[in-house]
Amino acid sequence: MTEPLVEVKNLRIAFPTEAGGWNETVRGVSFSLGREKLGIVGESGSGKSLSGRAILGVLPDHVRIEAETLAFDGIDLLTASSRQRRHLRGGRMGMVLQDPKFSLNPVMTAGEQIVEAIRIGDRRIGRTAARKTALEILESLHIRSPELVFNRYPHELSGGMGQRVMIGIMVVREPDLLIADEPTSALDVTVQMQVLSILDELVERRRMGLIFISHDLQLVSRFCDRVIVMYAGQIVETLDAKRLNEAQHPYTRGLLACLPEIDGPLTPLPVLDRQAAWSQTS
Amino acid sequence: MIDNILTVDRLSVRFGAATVVDDVSFAVARGESFGLVGESGSGKSTILRTIMGLNQDWSGAIGVNGVPARGTGRSEFSRQVQMVFQDPYASLHPRHLVGNAIAEPMRIHRLDNVEGRTLDLLRLIGLSEDFAYRYPHELSGGQRQRIAIARALALSPKLLLLDEPTSALDVSIQAEILNLLNRLRSEMGLTFVIVSHNLAVISYICDRLMLLQNARHVETLTREQLRSRDLQQNYTREFVAASGS
Repeated sequence: MTEPLVEVKNLRIAFPTEAGGWNETVRGVSFSLGREKLGIVGESGSGKSLSGRAILGVLPDHVRIEAETLAFDGIDLLTASSRQRRHLRGGRMGMVLQDPKFSLNPVMTAGEQIVEAIRIGDRRIGRTAARKTALEILESLHIRSPELVFNRYPHELSGGMGQRVMIGIMVVREPDLLIADEPTSALDVTVQMQVLSILDELVERRRMGLIFISHDLQLVSRFCDRVIVMYAGQIVETLDAKRLNEAQHPYTRGLLACLPEIDGPLTPLPVLDRQAAWSQTS
Repeated sequence: MIDNILTVDRLSVRFGAATVVDDVSFAVARGESFGLVGESGSGKSTILRTIMGLNQDWSGAIGVNGVPARGTGRSEFSRQVQMVFQDPYASLHPRHLVGNAIAEPMRIHRLDNVEGRTLDLLRLIGLSEDFAYRYPHELSGGQRQRIAIARALALSPKLLLLDEPTSALDVSIQAEILNLLNRLRSEMGLTFVIVSHNLAVISYICDRLMLLQNARHVETLTREQLRSRDLQQNYTREFVAASGS
């Protein structure tokens, strides 16, 4: 097998506390990613988003990041200069965030923002050529009238359309790694599936590595190859997405059980009985 | 004769030139749990906000417990119906103690023994009394939503409107809140109208539901009809299929 795209070994992330100590929120996370779709699932505060952001290098300066290995395609991210990491971001790594309302620039049209992304990557590409590429990418995102969307401002777009534009900005530079942090949580169920299948198509066609961060275990398992389940800053279980039902850890099983179903029983839903042992450092 | 606690008759709501609710009628029986389902922009939240008197430009008739929404004073009407909003981080005043947030409606209505009632409400929603002296930022999302529910129940309304009460919460916390809502409904004889885009949640907690699309009514189903897939409209079939089951 080829060298993994992302290699994370014993990642630890800590925030300074008011008392002067450190509050460790990611506590020894290790995984590696090839050209595959990896899901990271957990509740708020489990450290799933922080882990994704540490790879991208977009955590604030006062945060302490430690790891034995944090590498992207053979590049050691722990020793890389900020200039080097800036080059990786946008070019070789991209990130799709939860809510297009907050992550698109409200005073630029959707198209201008894609053109900007293209031209930041390569100044030699002219405006007309960049515009053409931007329209092509919009079309590949199953947007029926790309010209129309190109000239719209973010507030004139629906949530699903805005999310496609954001995906467009991220994939137009053809990154090797895409980190999607709750990319569909702000969308309607009917739109969710469309956006996911577009994402799936892009990842398959361009052979990207994808890290899909979500709190929705069912959704992730339908979409990814492998699923990592996090609890209190640690990985409690790594699962083959197709074998979700065989989950061993009581936390994973609890997460699955507490979901209501359309055809499920009407008895009180089982509630997670959190046990101290789940968050013990091993 | 069915005893309806809420009747909405030919309701239309306009925002400027746009009609966001178009000729929608429904009635909810006392003690029932009724769901409003649809995509964003279908008008489901607007219906709840209009019942609460938060929109001005509407036509049709709304009656709660025999009291018409138009022409009834706020203070009288707020004893009949209360609302719980989606985002528990946004719906509590950040600089008010939780106890004050719960007590405020009771003070406005000059009820007696406000302190005691506040502590009763905290116990009712499953939190200990010392939560009264905390600020919202010291609470988790699930605890905040419990507080919002307690505040909505402070004036003992018989009808509770819930706008996406669990969609900002983790699935594990969602289960706790849904269990709490079910318990409160049976213990206190409440009636719910719940807005959600999550059909699984609606099927779990609602006896009947209405599907909306583009401001219009599509189909009204009982839980049994939903579960036996006794669906008449194409859009309903699509919606149920997209909800993954």
